[in-house]
Amino acid sequence: MEMTDAVNVERARQGDADAFRLLVERHSRPIFRVAYRMTGNEHDADDVVQETFLRAYRQIHNFEDRANFSTWLHRIAINCSLDLLRSRGRHEKQYGGDAEALEHEISTEAPQPDRLLLSAELQVHVTAALERLTGNERTAFMLRHFEGMPVEEIGKTLGIQVNAAKHTIFRAVRKLREALQPFVRSTPCST
Amino acid sequence: MQHLNEETLVAHHYRDAEDGAAVAQHLRDCPACAAQYEELRLVLALVDDASIPEPAGNYGEEVWRRLRWKLGSEKKKRKAWQPLAAVAAALIAVFFLGQWWNARNATATAPLQASHNRPAGGSEVRTAPEGADANAGSRILLVVVSDHLESSERMLLEVANADPERGLRNPADRAGELVASNRIYRQTAAQRGDARIANVLSDLEPILVELSHAGTTIDGEELQQLQERIDAKGLLFKVRVSSARDEAPVRTHNPTTTSL
Repeated sequence: MEMTDAVNVERARQGDADAFRLLVERHSRPIFRVAYRMTGNEHDADDVVQETFLRAYRQIHNFEDRANFSTWLHRIAINCSLDLLRSRGRHEKQYGGDAEALEHEISTEAPQPDRLLLSAELQVHVTAALERLTGNERTAFMLRHFEGMPVEEIGKTLGIQVNAAKHTIFRAVRKLREALQPFVRSTPCST
Repeated sequence: MQHLNEETLVAHHYRDAEDGAAVAQHLRDCPACAAQYEELRLVLALVDDASIPEPAGNYGEEVWRRLRWKLGSEKKKRKAWQPLAAVAAALIAVFFLGQWWNARNATATAPLQASHNRPAGGSEVRTAPEGADANAGSRILLVVVSDHLESSERMLLEVANADPERGLRNPADRAGELVASNRIYRQTAAQRGDARIANVLSDLEPILVELSHAGTTIDGEELQQLQERIDAKGLLFKVRVSSARDEAPVRTHNPTTTSL
């Protein structure tokens, strides 16, 4: 844990609101990014950020000094996101965004990869591909891909077996690959 | 050569493959699988590039501004139940101490009662435990209430000594806690038949209620009226006397026991 976090956590435990404010201000952005990836929209991400800090405040006495405060917060944010998704019944079904409508907005003409690369349109395709994932697929993928969480832990987080977690990640990647394959410049096979 | 399946490629990408070294070797030897793997890597790189809306520059401050309000109400909730929990714990202690005291007195006086109750040409002597029960219960209640009376006394002193022109700041929170405790103690005292404590607490309550309803500051006429009411009822004196008497019974012998 960084020195500033350690000091502020200790002070916050003793009821120092200013110390907790510093922790909130320092970690809000990274937590927003995790929450956005998990929930897929800005409004929900914002709610998750609030809930994450609220839970952190209530549980700060349980935080172990040896742990990393940022990792601890990330974990809370992931749980908050999962709770939000579950409460909306979005966990098992398709993620919720209207992927088809989103894609319909962009040109129906097959785009050239060069033109699309890093363009706004490509962003729309990526977003649409992510929205086609079920809640579990998206969560498992996000946790493995962005958070680097081990498969065993993803299984625990989602309440599924390790193999099921592995397969969920695989299904998510396959869906993404199917949707985004046309937009990548694949290296031609040399044989 | 058997090609790697998609699942193995994904597992290898995340370093979850069971035999990572063998997969890596295969990718070096098999251009078809290497191409598949490269494509997978590029797809996942696209996801990496997916933009996340960047919150405003003062996002952290904004989060804190909204959070502070919520934390404030959490603290208030905690403040509200903490004194009540303390009072409840104290009353439970009164109950069990009372039980213990009764049992102790009953055991200690049983042989003596037997001799006293024996008809000896006169009327039967009144048994001691009834009087002992009342005294003991009252004494234990006094001990428990003493903290509350001391806190109330400090509050009354603050009001009595406050300058009406400068006013009294933030009395509401503390008074609110005292009102909650006062109600429970008053009811307990009344139920136990301890009229003296019940009366003092009963006189105290309207003043505390008024203070708890005050805004951030009480000043001018309002403060003066409160001071006059405290003075007219001799409230400070009553609370002080009750507090002082709380300590005395602990040192006093049980009259029932001494008379035997």
